[in-house]
Amino acid sequence: MAETALRKPVKVAHSYNGAFASKFAKSMFTTVTLLVILSFIGTRMFTHVDLNLYGYMVGTFVFLGGFFYRFIAWGERPPTKIIITKGIKLMFRKSTPKTSVEHLATYKFIWNRGIYRWTQHVMLGWGCILSCLVTFPLVFGWMYFTMDEGGYYTVVAMGVNVMTVDADGIIAFFFYNALNFTAIMVIIGVCMALYRRLKNMQARAEQKFMYDFLPLYLLLFISITGLILTFMNVFLHGAGHYAMSMIHQYSVVVTLIYLPFGKLAHIPFRPLSVFARNYREHYGEQSMKKCKVCGDEFVSTEQSQDVINVLGTNEMDFTMEKDGFNLAELCLPCRRKYRIARFSGFATHEVKTKEANQNAKG
Amino acid sequence: MKKRLYIELENCIGCRSCLAACTQCGGHEQRNRNYVYDVNPHVSRQTMPLMCLHCENPACARSCPAQAIQIHETGAVLSALVEKCIGCQNCTIACPYGIPKFDEEENLMYKCDLCIDRTKDGIPPMCASVCPSNTLQWLTEEEIERKQQQYDLDNGKWVTSMPYLEGATNVKVNLPGILQGTEKLF
Ligand code: SF4
Ligand code: SF4
Repeated sequence: MAETALRKPVKVAHSYNGAFASKFAKSMFTTVTLLVILSFIGTRMFTHVDLNLYGYMVGTFVFLGGFFYRFIAWGERPPTKIIITKGIKLMFRKSTPKTSVEHLATYKFIWNRGIYRWTQHVMLGWGCILSCLVTFPLVFGWMYFTMDEGGYYTVVAMGVNVMTVDADGIIAFFFYNALNFTAIMVIIGVCMALYRRLKNMQARAEQKFMYDFLPLYLLLFISITGLILTFMNVFLHGAGHYAMSMIHQYSVVVTLIYLPFGKLAHIPFRPLSVFARNYREHYGEQSMKKCKVCGDEFVSTEQSQDVINVLGTNEMDFTMEKDGFNLAELCLPCRRKYRIARFSGFATHEVKTKEANQNAKG
Repeated sequence: MKKRLYIELENCIGCRSCLAACTQCGGHEQRNRNYVYDVNPHVSRQTMPLMCLHCENPACARSCPAQAIQIHETGAVLSALVEKCIGCQNCTIACPYGIPKFDEEENLMYKCDLCIDRTKDGIPPMCASVCPSNTLQWLTEEEIERKQQQYDLDNGKWVTSMPYLEGATNVKVNLPGILQGTEKLF
Protein backbone atom coordinates (compact mmCIF):
# COMPACT_ATOMS: atom_id res chain seq x y z
CA MET A 1 0.00 0.00 0.00
CA ALA A 2 2.99 2.24 0.58
CA GLU A 3 3.41 2.11 -3.20
CA THR A 4 0.08 3.71 -3.87
CA ALA A 5 0.97 6.47 -1.52
CA LEU A 6 4.23 7.05 -3.34
CA ARG A 7 2.76 7.02 -6.79
CA LYS A 8 0.23 9.70 -6.07
CA PRO A 9 1.39 13.28 -6.02
CA VAL A 10 1.29 14.32 -2.41
CA LYS A 11 -1.39 16.89 -1.97
CA VAL A 12 -1.19 19.06 1.09
CA ALA A 13 -4.66 18.34 2.28
CA HIS A 14 -6.12 19.47 5.52
CA SER A 15 -9.13 17.25 5.15
CA TYR A 16 -9.73 13.93 6.87
CA ASN A 17 -8.19 12.17 3.86
CA GLY A 18 -5.04 14.19 4.24
CA ALA A 19 -4.29 12.56 7.56
CA PHE A 20 -3.62 9.14 6.05
CA ALA A 21 -0.80 7.63 4.06
CA SER A 22 -3.14 5.64 1.85
CA LYS A 23 -6.74 4.69 1.21
CA PHE A 24 -6.03 1.41 2.93
CA ALA A 25 -4.81 3.14 6.09
CA LYS A 26 -7.84 5.40 6.10
CA SER A 27 -10.38 2.62 5.62
CA MET A 28 -8.71 0.43 8.22
CA PHE A 29 -8.42 3.21 10.78
CA THR A 30 -12.00 4.37 10.28
CA THR A 31 -13.51 0.92 10.53
CA VAL A 32 -11.49 -0.20 13.53
CA THR A 33 -12.23 3.03 15.38
CA LEU A 34 -15.91 2.64 14.62
CA LEU A 35 -15.92 -0.93 15.90
CA VAL A 36 -14.12 0.07 19.09
CA ILE A 37 -16.51 2.96 19.73
CA LEU A 38 -19.52 0.73 19.13
CA SER A 39 -18.09 -1.87 21.51
CA PHE A 40 -17.37 0.80 24.07
CA ILE A 41 -21.01 1.86 24.00
CA GLY A 42 -22.38 -1.65 23.66
CA THR A 43 -20.42 -3.11 26.55
CA ARG A 44 -21.14 -0.24 28.90
CA MET A 45 -17.58 1.01 28.78
CA PHE A 46 -16.00 -2.41 28.31
CA THR A 47 -17.53 -3.82 31.48
CA HIS A 48 -19.25 -6.69 29.65
CA VAL A 49 -16.66 -8.03 27.24
CA ASP A 50 -16.83 -11.76 26.62
CA LEU A 51 -13.16 -12.63 26.51
CA ASN A 52 -13.89 -16.18 25.40
CA LEU A 53 -14.69 -14.68 22.04
CA TYR A 54 -11.55 -12.62 21.53
CA GLY A 55 -10.32 -14.97 18.78
CA TYR A 56 -13.22 -13.86 16.63
CA MET A 57 -12.30 -10.27 17.27
CA VAL A 58 -8.73 -10.82 16.07
CA GLY A 59 -10.13 -12.75 13.10
CA THR A 60 -12.42 -9.86 12.24
CA PHE A 61 -9.56 -7.38 12.21
CA VAL A 62 -7.45 -9.59 9.98
CA PHE A 63 -10.48 -10.06 7.73
CA LEU A 64 -10.91 -6.31 7.47
CA GLY A 65 -7.27 -5.93 6.49
CA GLY A 66 -7.64 -8.51 3.72
CA PHE A 67 -10.96 -7.11 2.63
CA PHE A 68 -9.76 -3.52 2.25
CA TYR A 69 -6.58 -4.67 0.57
CA ARG A 70 -8.57 -6.61 -2.04
CA PHE A 71 -11.37 -4.12 -2.40
CA ILE A 72 -9.11 -1.13 -2.90
CA ALA A 73 -6.86 -2.92 -5.41
CA TRP A 74 -9.97 -4.03 -7.22
CA GLY A 75 -11.61 -0.61 -7.11
CA GLU A 76 -8.59 0.89 -8.87
CA ARG A 77 -9.38 -1.00 -12.07
CA PRO A 78 -10.95 1.44 -14.52
CA PRO A 79 -14.25 -0.40 -15.14
CA THR A 80 -14.72 -1.09 -11.44
CA LYS A 81 -14.04 2.50 -10.55
CA ILE A 82 -16.77 3.67 -12.91
CA ILE A 83 -19.37 1.33 -11.44
CA ILE A 84 -18.41 2.26 -7.89
CA THR A 85 -18.35 6.05 -8.33
CA LYS A 86 -21.49 6.19 -10.45
CA GLY A 87 -23.13 3.57 -8.26
CA ILE A 88 -22.61 5.64 -5.13
CA LYS A 89 -24.05 8.69 -6.88
CA LEU A 90 -27.13 6.72 -7.91
CA MET A 91 -27.55 4.94 -4.59
CA PHE A 92 -30.82 6.64 -3.70
CA ARG A 93 -32.96 5.71 -6.65
CA LYS A 94 -36.54 4.79 -5.95
CA SER A 95 -35.95 1.26 -7.14
CA THR A 96 -32.89 0.65 -4.94
CA PRO A 97 -34.71 -1.05 -2.05
CA LYS A 98 -36.51 -3.42 -4.40
CA THR A 99 -33.38 -4.24 -6.38
CA SER A 100 -31.39 -4.75 -3.18
CA VAL A 101 -33.94 -7.15 -1.77
CA GLU A 102 -34.10 -9.13 -5.01
CA HIS A 103 -30.34 -9.25 -5.43
CA LEU A 104 -29.16 -9.62 -1.86
CA ALA A 105 -31.98 -11.19 0.11
CA THR A 106 -34.37 -13.22 -2.02
CA TYR A 107 -31.89 -14.07 -4.80
CA LYS A 108 -34.54 -13.83 -7.50
CA PHE A 109 -31.93 -14.21 -10.25
CA ILE A 110 -30.77 -17.49 -8.75
CA TRP A 111 -34.37 -18.68 -8.60
CA ASN A 112 -34.36 -18.15 -12.36
CA ARG A 113 -31.29 -20.35 -12.63
CA GLY A 114 -33.17 -23.20 -11.00
CA ILE A 115 -35.03 -24.06 -7.82
CA TYR A 116 -32.36 -26.46 -6.63
CA ARG A 117 -29.63 -23.87 -6.88
CA TRP A 118 -31.85 -21.30 -5.25
CA THR A 119 -32.67 -23.51 -2.27
CA GLN A 120 -29.02 -24.35 -1.90
CA HIS A 121 -28.05 -20.71 -2.01
CA VAL A 122 -30.74 -19.58 0.44
CA MET A 123 -29.62 -22.25 2.89
CA LEU A 124 -25.96 -21.33 2.55
CA GLY A 125 -26.41 -17.58 2.22
CA TRP A 126 -28.93 -17.02 4.95
CA GLY A 127 -27.32 -19.63 7.17
CA CYS A 128 -24.11 -17.64 7.04
CA ILE A 129 -25.68 -14.20 7.27
CA LEU A 130 -27.82 -15.10 10.26
CA SER A 131 -24.89 -16.76 11.99
CA CYS A 132 -22.86 -13.59 11.57
CA LEU A 133 -25.74 -11.46 12.80
CA VAL A 134 -25.86 -13.55 15.96
CA THR A 135 -22.13 -14.02 16.49
CA PHE A 136 -20.62 -10.62 15.86
CA PRO A 137 -22.85 -8.53 18.11
CA LEU A 138 -21.88 -10.98 20.86
CA VAL A 139 -18.19 -10.76 19.95
CA PHE A 140 -18.12 -7.00 20.04
CA GLY A 141 -20.45 -6.77 22.97
CA TRP A 142 -23.19 -4.99 21.05
CA MET A 143 -25.53 -7.52 22.55
CA TYR A 144 -25.25 -9.61 25.69
CA PHE A 145 -27.43 -11.28 28.27
CA THR A 146 -27.57 -10.78 31.98
CA MET A 147 -29.27 -13.22 34.34
CA ASP A 148 -31.52 -11.60 36.90
CA GLU A 149 -33.20 -13.31 39.77
CA GLY A 150 -36.13 -15.60 39.16
CA GLY A 151 -35.04 -17.33 35.96
CA TYR A 152 -35.26 -14.32 33.71
CA TYR A 153 -32.71 -13.09 31.21
CA THR A 154 -32.28 -9.46 30.27
CA VAL A 155 -31.24 -8.86 26.70
CA VAL A 156 -28.92 -5.85 26.47
CA ALA A 157 -28.39 -4.33 23.05
CA MET A 158 -26.01 -1.39 22.61
CA GLY A 159 -25.95 -0.94 26.36
CA VAL A 160 -29.71 -0.64 26.63
CA ASN A 161 -31.95 -3.20 28.29
CA VAL A 162 -34.20 -4.27 25.49
CA MET A 163 -36.30 -7.00 26.97
CA THR A 164 -36.57 -9.54 29.69
CA VAL A 165 -37.31 -13.08 28.71
CA ASP A 166 -38.20 -16.20 30.57
CA ALA A 167 -35.12 -18.42 30.63
CA ASP A 168 -37.28 -21.44 29.81
CA GLY A 169 -39.53 -19.60 27.40
CA ILE A 170 -39.85 -19.94 23.70
CA ILE A 171 -37.94 -16.74 22.85
CA ALA A 172 -35.00 -17.78 24.99
CA PHE A 173 -35.09 -21.15 23.24
CA PHE A 174 -34.59 -19.39 19.92
CA PHE A 175 -31.78 -17.29 21.35
CA TYR A 176 -29.90 -20.32 22.61
CA ASN A 177 -30.42 -22.31 19.49
CA ALA A 178 -30.15 -19.72 16.78
CA LEU A 179 -26.70 -20.88 15.83
CA ASN A 180 -27.80 -24.50 15.81
CA PHE A 181 -30.53 -23.70 13.33
CA THR A 182 -28.22 -21.71 11.11
CA ALA A 183 -25.61 -24.48 11.32
CA ILE A 184 -28.20 -26.93 10.07
CA MET A 185 -29.12 -24.56 7.25
CA VAL A 186 -25.50 -24.30 6.21
CA ILE A 187 -25.01 -28.06 6.37
CA ILE A 188 -28.06 -28.61 4.16
CA GLY A 189 -26.75 -26.01 1.73
CA VAL A 190 -23.26 -27.48 1.61
CA CYS A 191 -24.62 -30.99 1.11
CA MET A 192 -26.82 -29.80 -1.73
CA ALA A 193 -23.86 -28.06 -3.32
CA LEU A 194 -21.61 -31.09 -2.93
CA TYR A 195 -24.29 -33.41 -4.25
CA ARG A 196 -24.75 -31.21 -7.28
CA ARG A 197 -21.02 -31.20 -7.93
CA LEU A 198 -20.69 -34.94 -7.62
CA LYS A 199 -23.79 -35.99 -9.50
CA ASN A 200 -23.99 -33.36 -12.17
CA MET A 201 -21.22 -33.56 -14.76
CA GLN A 202 -22.16 -30.13 -15.97
CA ALA A 203 -21.48 -28.56 -12.62
CA ARG A 204 -18.34 -30.61 -12.17
CA ALA A 205 -16.84 -29.35 -15.38
CA GLU A 206 -16.81 -25.80 -14.10
CA GLN A 207 -15.08 -26.44 -10.83
CA LYS A 208 -11.56 -25.96 -9.72
CA PHE A 209 -10.92 -27.88 -6.55
CA MET A 210 -9.43 -25.29 -4.26
CA TYR A 211 -11.52 -22.42 -5.48
CA ASP A 212 -14.77 -24.25 -5.33
CA PHE A 213 -14.54 -26.96 -2.71
CA LEU A 214 -12.38 -25.36 -0.04
CA PRO A 215 -15.00 -22.78 0.99
CA LEU A 216 -17.66 -25.49 1.13
CA TYR A 217 -15.50 -27.69 3.35
CA LEU A 218 -14.64 -24.75 5.59
CA LEU A 219 -18.31 -23.89 6.07
CA LEU A 220 -19.12 -27.53 6.69
CA PHE A 221 -16.35 -27.78 9.26
CA ILE A 222 -17.52 -24.68 11.11
CA SER A 223 -21.11 -25.86 11.19
CA ILE A 224 -20.29 -29.36 12.35
CA THR A 225 -17.90 -28.26 15.09
CA GLY A 226 -20.54 -25.75 16.18
CA LEU A 227 -23.16 -28.46 16.44
CA ILE A 228 -20.75 -30.74 18.27
CA LEU A 229 -20.31 -27.97 20.83
CA THR A 230 -24.04 -27.95 21.47
CA PHE A 231 -24.05 -31.73 21.61
CA MET A 232 -21.26 -31.72 24.20
CA ASN A 233 -23.04 -29.18 26.32
CA VAL A 234 -26.40 -30.87 26.23
CA PHE A 235 -25.50 -34.55 26.30
CA LEU A 236 -21.97 -34.72 27.68
CA HIS A 237 -22.43 -32.08 30.34
CA GLY A 238 -19.77 -29.94 28.76
CA ALA A 239 -17.05 -32.58 28.50
CA GLY A 240 -14.45 -31.54 25.91
CA HIS A 241 -16.15 -28.22 25.53
CA TYR A 242 -12.99 -26.14 25.81
CA ALA A 243 -10.98 -28.01 23.17
CA MET A 244 -13.90 -28.12 20.79
CA SER A 245 -14.68 -24.44 21.21
CA MET A 246 -11.05 -23.67 20.34
CA ILE A 247 -11.24 -25.82 17.20
CA HIS A 248 -14.49 -24.14 16.25
CA GLN A 249 -13.12 -20.69 16.91
CA TYR A 250 -9.98 -21.31 14.88
CA SER A 251 -11.98 -22.66 11.96
CA VAL A 252 -14.05 -19.47 11.94
CA VAL A 253 -10.93 -17.32 12.12
CA VAL A 254 -9.28 -19.19 9.24
CA THR A 255 -12.45 -18.79 7.15
CA LEU A 256 -12.61 -15.08 7.93
CA ILE A 257 -9.01 -14.60 6.87
CA TYR A 258 -9.57 -16.58 3.68
CA LEU A 259 -12.89 -14.95 2.87
CA PRO A 260 -11.73 -11.94 0.80
CA PHE A 261 -9.48 -14.08 -1.39
CA GLY A 262 -11.58 -16.93 -2.67
CA LYS A 263 -15.05 -17.72 -3.85
CA LEU A 264 -16.58 -16.35 -0.68
CA ALA A 265 -15.31 -12.90 -1.64
CA HIS A 266 -18.51 -12.50 -3.61
CA ILE A 267 -20.36 -11.97 -0.32
CA PRO A 268 -18.87 -8.54 0.50
CA PHE A 269 -18.59 -7.59 -3.21
CA ARG A 270 -22.08 -8.56 -4.27
CA PRO A 271 -23.79 -5.24 -3.45
CA LEU A 272 -22.06 -3.97 -6.59
CA SER A 273 -24.74 -5.77 -8.60
CA VAL A 274 -27.25 -3.27 -7.22
CA PHE A 275 -24.94 -0.48 -8.39
CA ALA A 276 -24.75 -2.07 -11.82
CA ARG A 277 -28.53 -2.31 -12.09
CA ASN A 278 -29.01 1.30 -11.00
CA TYR A 279 -26.35 2.40 -13.46
CA ARG A 280 -28.10 0.67 -16.34
CA GLU A 281 -31.56 1.88 -15.36
CA HIS A 282 -30.63 5.48 -14.63
CA TYR A 283 -28.59 6.15 -17.74
CA GLY A 284 -31.01 4.10 -19.82
CA GLU A 285 -33.78 6.47 -18.81
CA GLN A 286 -31.62 9.47 -19.63
CA SER A 287 -30.70 8.52 -23.16
CA MET A 288 -30.38 5.35 -25.15
CA LYS A 289 -27.74 4.74 -27.78
CA LYS A 290 -29.06 4.06 -31.26
CA CYS A 291 -27.14 1.45 -33.21
CA LYS A 292 -25.16 3.22 -35.92
CA VAL A 293 -26.25 0.62 -38.45
CA CYS A 294 -29.85 -0.38 -37.75
CA GLY A 295 -30.93 2.43 -35.41
CA ASP A 296 -32.20 0.13 -32.64
CA GLU A 297 -31.66 1.34 -29.11
CA PHE A 298 -29.47 -1.22 -27.39
CA VAL A 299 -27.66 0.34 -24.42
CA SER A 300 -27.44 3.67 -22.62
CA THR A 301 -25.34 6.32 -24.32
CA GLU A 302 -23.39 6.65 -21.08
CA GLN A 303 -22.44 2.98 -20.92
CA SER A 304 -21.43 2.81 -24.55
CA GLN A 305 -19.11 5.76 -23.96
CA ASP A 306 -17.83 4.39 -20.65
CA VAL A 307 -16.88 1.12 -22.32
CA ILE A 308 -15.07 2.97 -25.11
CA ASN A 309 -13.14 4.94 -22.47
CA VAL A 310 -12.30 1.89 -20.40
CA LEU A 311 -10.97 0.10 -23.47
CA GLY A 312 -9.03 3.25 -24.24
CA THR A 313 -7.23 3.03 -20.91
CA ASN A 314 -6.24 -0.48 -21.97
CA GLU A 315 -4.99 0.84 -25.29
CA MET A 316 -7.80 -0.76 -27.22
CA ASP A 317 -9.64 1.29 -29.77
CA PHE A 318 -12.26 -0.21 -32.00
CA THR A 319 -13.01 2.86 -34.07
CA MET A 320 -13.64 1.80 -37.66
CA GLU A 321 -12.27 4.80 -39.52
CA LYS A 322 -13.61 3.70 -42.87
CA ASP A 323 -17.16 3.14 -41.68
CA GLY A 324 -17.24 6.02 -39.22
CA PHE A 325 -18.28 4.25 -36.04
CA ASN A 326 -16.84 2.62 -32.98
CA LEU A 327 -17.80 -1.02 -32.58
CA ALA A 328 -19.32 -0.20 -29.18
CA GLU A 329 -21.85 1.90 -31.09
CA LEU A 330 -23.31 -1.08 -32.93
CA CYS A 331 -25.99 -3.31 -31.48
CA LEU A 332 -24.88 -6.90 -30.98
CA PRO A 333 -26.44 -8.45 -34.10
CA CYS A 334 -25.11 -5.64 -36.27
CA ARG A 335 -21.67 -5.94 -34.72
CA ARG A 336 -21.62 -9.65 -35.49
CA LYS A 337 -22.78 -9.08 -39.04
CA TYR A 338 -20.18 -6.38 -39.44
CA ARG A 339 -17.56 -8.96 -38.50
CA ILE A 340 -18.93 -11.32 -41.16
CA ALA A 341 -18.73 -8.41 -43.58
CA ARG A 342 -15.09 -7.91 -42.69
CA PHE A 343 -14.45 -11.63 -43.20
CA SER A 344 -16.26 -11.92 -46.49
CA GLY A 345 -15.88 -8.52 -48.07
CA PHE A 346 -19.65 -8.31 -48.54
CA ALA A 347 -21.51 -5.74 -46.41
CA THR A 348 -23.67 -8.25 -44.54
CA HIS A 349 -24.59 -5.70 -41.86
CA GLU A 350 -26.26 -3.47 -44.41
CA VAL A 351 -28.73 -6.13 -45.56
CA LYS A 352 -31.99 -5.41 -43.76
CA THR A 353 -32.88 -8.82 -42.40
CA LYS A 354 -33.07 -10.03 -38.87
CA GLU A 355 -30.51 -12.61 -37.89
CA ALA A 356 -32.13 -16.01 -38.30
CA ASN A 357 -31.65 -19.46 -36.81
CA GLN A 358 -29.21 -18.51 -34.12
CA ASN A 359 -30.66 -20.62 -31.35
CA ALA A 360 -30.34 -24.36 -31.45
CA LYS A 361 -32.73 -26.15 -29.13
CA GLY A 362 -30.72 -28.35 -26.79
CA MET B 1 0.46 -31.16 -27.81
CA LYS B 2 -1.20 -27.78 -27.83
CA LYS B 3 -3.98 -27.54 -30.33
CA ARG B 4 -5.99 -24.59 -31.47
CA LEU B 5 -9.35 -24.03 -33.00
CA TYR B 6 -8.80 -23.21 -36.64
CA ILE B 7 -11.55 -21.92 -38.89
CA GLU B 8 -11.75 -22.12 -42.66
CA LEU B 9 -14.70 -19.83 -43.07
CA GLU B 10 -15.56 -20.52 -46.67
CA ASN B 11 -16.15 -24.23 -46.08
CA CYS B 12 -19.28 -23.55 -44.06
CA ILE B 13 -22.45 -25.14 -45.47
CA GLY B 14 -24.85 -23.64 -42.93
CA CYS B 15 -25.91 -26.90 -41.30
CA ARG B 16 -25.70 -25.37 -37.80
CA SER B 17 -24.38 -28.58 -36.30
CA CYS B 18 -21.95 -26.45 -34.31
CA LEU B 19 -24.82 -24.58 -32.69
CA ALA B 20 -26.57 -27.80 -31.74
CA ALA B 21 -23.35 -29.36 -30.45
CA CYS B 22 -22.61 -26.28 -28.37
CA THR B 23 -25.84 -26.76 -26.42
CA GLN B 24 -24.62 -30.17 -25.31
CA CYS B 25 -21.35 -29.09 -23.76
CA GLY B 26 -20.98 -29.44 -19.98
CA GLY B 27 -21.97 -26.21 -18.29
CA HIS B 28 -23.74 -24.74 -21.29
CA GLU B 29 -27.18 -25.64 -19.93
CA GLN B 30 -28.67 -26.44 -23.31
CA ARG B 31 -27.99 -23.06 -24.83
CA ASN B 32 -25.61 -22.42 -27.68
CA ARG B 33 -23.02 -19.70 -27.48
CA ASN B 34 -21.98 -19.42 -31.12
CA TYR B 35 -23.49 -18.06 -34.31
CA VAL B 36 -23.88 -18.88 -38.01
CA TYR B 37 -24.59 -16.08 -40.45
CA ASP B 38 -25.79 -15.86 -44.03
CA VAL B 39 -23.27 -13.70 -45.76
CA ASN B 40 -25.73 -12.29 -48.28
CA PRO B 41 -29.06 -13.67 -47.14
CA HIS B 42 -31.32 -12.81 -50.08
CA VAL B 43 -28.86 -13.73 -52.75
CA SER B 44 -26.56 -16.64 -51.96
CA ARG B 45 -26.36 -19.68 -49.71
CA GLN B 46 -22.93 -18.84 -48.36
CA THR B 47 -22.80 -18.96 -44.59
CA MET B 48 -20.05 -18.41 -42.04
CA PRO B 49 -19.78 -19.38 -38.40
CA LEU B 50 -18.91 -16.79 -35.82
CA MET B 51 -17.60 -17.70 -32.42
CA CYS B 52 -15.47 -16.20 -29.72
CA LEU B 53 -11.96 -15.94 -31.09
CA HIS B 54 -10.40 -16.02 -27.62
CA CYS B 55 -8.49 -12.80 -27.93
CA GLU B 56 -5.02 -12.65 -26.44
CA ASN B 57 -5.99 -9.35 -24.88
CA PRO B 58 -9.74 -9.82 -24.46
CA ALA B 59 -11.81 -6.65 -24.45
CA CYS B 60 -14.61 -8.44 -22.65
CA ALA B 61 -12.42 -9.30 -19.66
CA ARG B 62 -10.75 -5.88 -19.61
CA SER B 63 -14.10 -4.14 -19.40
CA CYS B 64 -15.55 -6.35 -16.69
CA PRO B 65 -15.77 -4.50 -13.37
CA ALA B 66 -16.15 -7.72 -11.41
CA GLN B 67 -13.24 -9.66 -12.90
CA ALA B 68 -15.79 -12.32 -13.69
CA ILE B 69 -14.21 -13.30 -17.00
CA GLN B 70 -11.11 -15.34 -16.35
CA ILE B 71 -8.46 -16.36 -18.82
CA HIS B 72 -7.55 -20.02 -18.61
CA GLU B 73 -3.92 -21.10 -18.79
CA THR B 74 -4.64 -22.56 -22.23
CA GLY B 75 -5.56 -19.06 -23.40
CA ALA B 76 -9.31 -19.74 -23.49
CA VAL B 77 -11.34 -16.76 -22.31
CA LEU B 78 -13.90 -18.29 -19.98
CA SER B 79 -17.58 -17.58 -19.46
CA ALA B 80 -18.54 -15.34 -16.52
CA LEU B 81 -18.08 -16.87 -13.09
CA VAL B 82 -21.63 -17.18 -11.81
CA GLU B 83 -20.91 -15.78 -8.38
CA LYS B 84 -18.91 -12.82 -9.64
CA CYS B 85 -20.88 -11.48 -12.61
CA ILE B 86 -22.82 -8.43 -11.46
CA GLY B 87 -24.85 -8.17 -14.65
CA CYS B 88 -23.56 -4.84 -15.95
CA GLN B 89 -23.23 -6.10 -19.55
CA ASN B 90 -20.06 -4.12 -20.21
CA CYS B 91 -18.55 -7.21 -21.82
CA THR B 92 -21.32 -7.45 -24.41
CA ILE B 93 -20.63 -3.86 -25.45
CA ALA B 94 -16.85 -4.23 -25.36
CA CYS B 95 -16.39 -7.39 -27.43
CA PRO B 96 -15.54 -6.26 -30.96
CA TYR B 97 -17.46 -9.21 -32.40
CA GLY B 98 -20.58 -9.11 -30.21
CA ILE B 99 -20.03 -12.58 -28.80
CA PRO B 100 -21.08 -12.58 -25.10
CA LYS B 101 -24.75 -13.31 -24.52
CA PHE B 102 -26.67 -12.01 -21.56
CA ASP B 103 -29.51 -13.65 -19.69
CA GLU B 104 -31.67 -10.92 -18.17
CA GLU B 105 -33.64 -13.29 -15.97
CA GLU B 106 -30.58 -14.91 -14.47
CA ASN B 107 -28.66 -11.62 -14.47
CA LEU B 108 -25.72 -13.49 -15.92
CA MET B 109 -23.46 -13.29 -18.93
CA TYR B 110 -22.50 -16.46 -20.76
CA LYS B 111 -20.11 -16.92 -23.63
CA CYS B 112 -18.04 -19.52 -25.47
CA ASP B 113 -15.54 -21.08 -23.08
CA LEU B 114 -13.98 -23.20 -25.81
CA CYS B 115 -15.54 -26.19 -23.98
CA ILE B 116 -12.82 -25.80 -21.40
CA ASP B 117 -13.47 -29.14 -19.70
CA ARG B 118 -12.69 -30.79 -23.03
CA THR B 119 -10.01 -28.56 -24.52
CA LYS B 120 -7.95 -28.38 -21.35
CA ASP B 121 -7.37 -32.11 -21.86
CA GLY B 122 -6.72 -31.74 -25.58
CA ILE B 123 -10.19 -32.94 -26.64
CA PRO B 124 -11.62 -30.77 -29.43
CA PRO B 125 -14.47 -28.40 -28.54
CA MET B 126 -17.97 -29.62 -29.37
CA CYS B 127 -18.33 -27.42 -32.45
CA ALA B 128 -15.12 -28.67 -34.05
CA SER B 129 -15.99 -32.29 -33.18
CA VAL B 130 -19.19 -32.21 -35.18
CA CYS B 131 -18.47 -29.85 -38.07
CA PRO B 132 -19.05 -31.98 -41.19
CA SER B 133 -17.42 -29.59 -43.63
CA ASN B 134 -14.07 -29.05 -41.94
CA THR B 135 -14.87 -25.42 -41.34
CA LEU B 136 -14.03 -25.83 -37.69
CA GLN B 137 -10.90 -27.82 -37.04
CA TRP B 138 -8.78 -28.62 -34.02
CA LEU B 139 -5.16 -28.49 -35.09
CA THR B 140 -1.64 -28.37 -33.72
CA GLU B 141 0.58 -25.40 -34.39
CA GLU B 142 2.45 -27.44 -37.01
CA GLU B 143 -0.74 -28.38 -38.80
CA ILE B 144 -1.79 -24.76 -38.89
CA GLU B 145 1.67 -23.91 -40.16
CA ARG B 146 1.25 -26.48 -42.93
CA LYS B 147 -2.13 -25.07 -43.85
CA GLN B 148 -0.52 -21.72 -44.13
CA GLN B 149 2.16 -23.07 -46.44
CA GLN B 150 -0.42 -24.91 -48.49
CA TYR B 151 -2.23 -21.65 -49.09
CA ASP B 152 0.88 -19.53 -49.23
CA LEU B 153 0.96 -18.01 -52.66
CA ASP B 154 4.00 -16.04 -51.69
CA ASN B 155 2.08 -12.88 -52.18
CA GLY B 156 1.22 -12.12 -48.57
CA LYS B 157 -2.43 -13.04 -49.11
CA TRP B 158 -2.77 -15.82 -46.52
CA VAL B 159 -3.79 -14.23 -43.31
CA THR B 160 -4.75 -15.50 -39.91
CA SER B 161 -5.68 -13.04 -37.25
CA MET B 162 -3.61 -9.87 -37.50
CA PRO B 163 -4.07 -7.38 -39.04
CA TYR B 164 -7.57 -8.25 -40.18
CA LEU B 165 -8.98 -8.79 -36.73
CA GLU B 166 -9.07 -6.24 -33.95
CA GLY B 167 -6.23 -7.98 -32.15
CA ALA B 168 -4.24 -11.21 -31.86
CA THR B 169 -6.44 -14.21 -31.12
CA ASN B 170 -5.96 -17.76 -29.93
CA VAL B 171 -8.39 -19.08 -32.51
CA LYS B 172 -6.88 -18.89 -35.98
CA VAL B 173 -9.01 -17.89 -38.92
CA ASN B 174 -8.35 -18.48 -42.57
CA LEU B 175 -9.88 -15.51 -44.28
CA PRO B 176 -11.61 -16.12 -47.58
CA GLY B 177 -12.51 -14.14 -50.60
CA ILE B 178 -12.29 -10.44 -50.94
CA LEU B 179 -11.10 -8.84 -47.81
CA GLN B 180 -11.35 -5.14 -47.43
CA GLY B 181 -10.27 -4.81 -51.01
CA THR B 182 -7.59 -7.49 -50.86
CA GLU B 183 -8.30 -10.38 -53.20
CA LYS B 184 -7.43 -13.93 -52.19
CA LEU B 185 -6.47 -15.70 -55.37
CA PHE B 186 -7.01 -19.40 -54.72
S1 SF4 C 1 -13.96 -12.45 -29.15
FE1 SF4 C 1 -15.11 -11.13 -27.71
S2 SF4 C 1 -15.85 -12.55 -26.17
FE2 SF4 C 1 -14.20 -13.60 -27.25
S3 SF4 C 1 -12.36 -13.13 -26.03
FE3 SF4 C 1 -12.48 -11.60 -27.66
S4 SF4 C 1 -13.57 -9.89 -26.67
FE4 SF4 C 1 -13.93 -11.67 -25.39
S1 SF4 D 1 -22.04 -8.63 -17.36
FE1 SF4 D 1 -20.90 -9.83 -15.87
S2 SF4 D 1 -19.19 -10.70 -17.02
FE2 SF4 D 1 -20.01 -9.03 -18.25
S3 SF4 D 1 -18.79 -7.25 -17.71
FE3 SF4 D 1 -20.59 -7.21 -16.37
S4 SF4 D 1 -19.96 -8.30 -14.52
FE4 SF4 D 1 -18.45 -8.78 -16.12
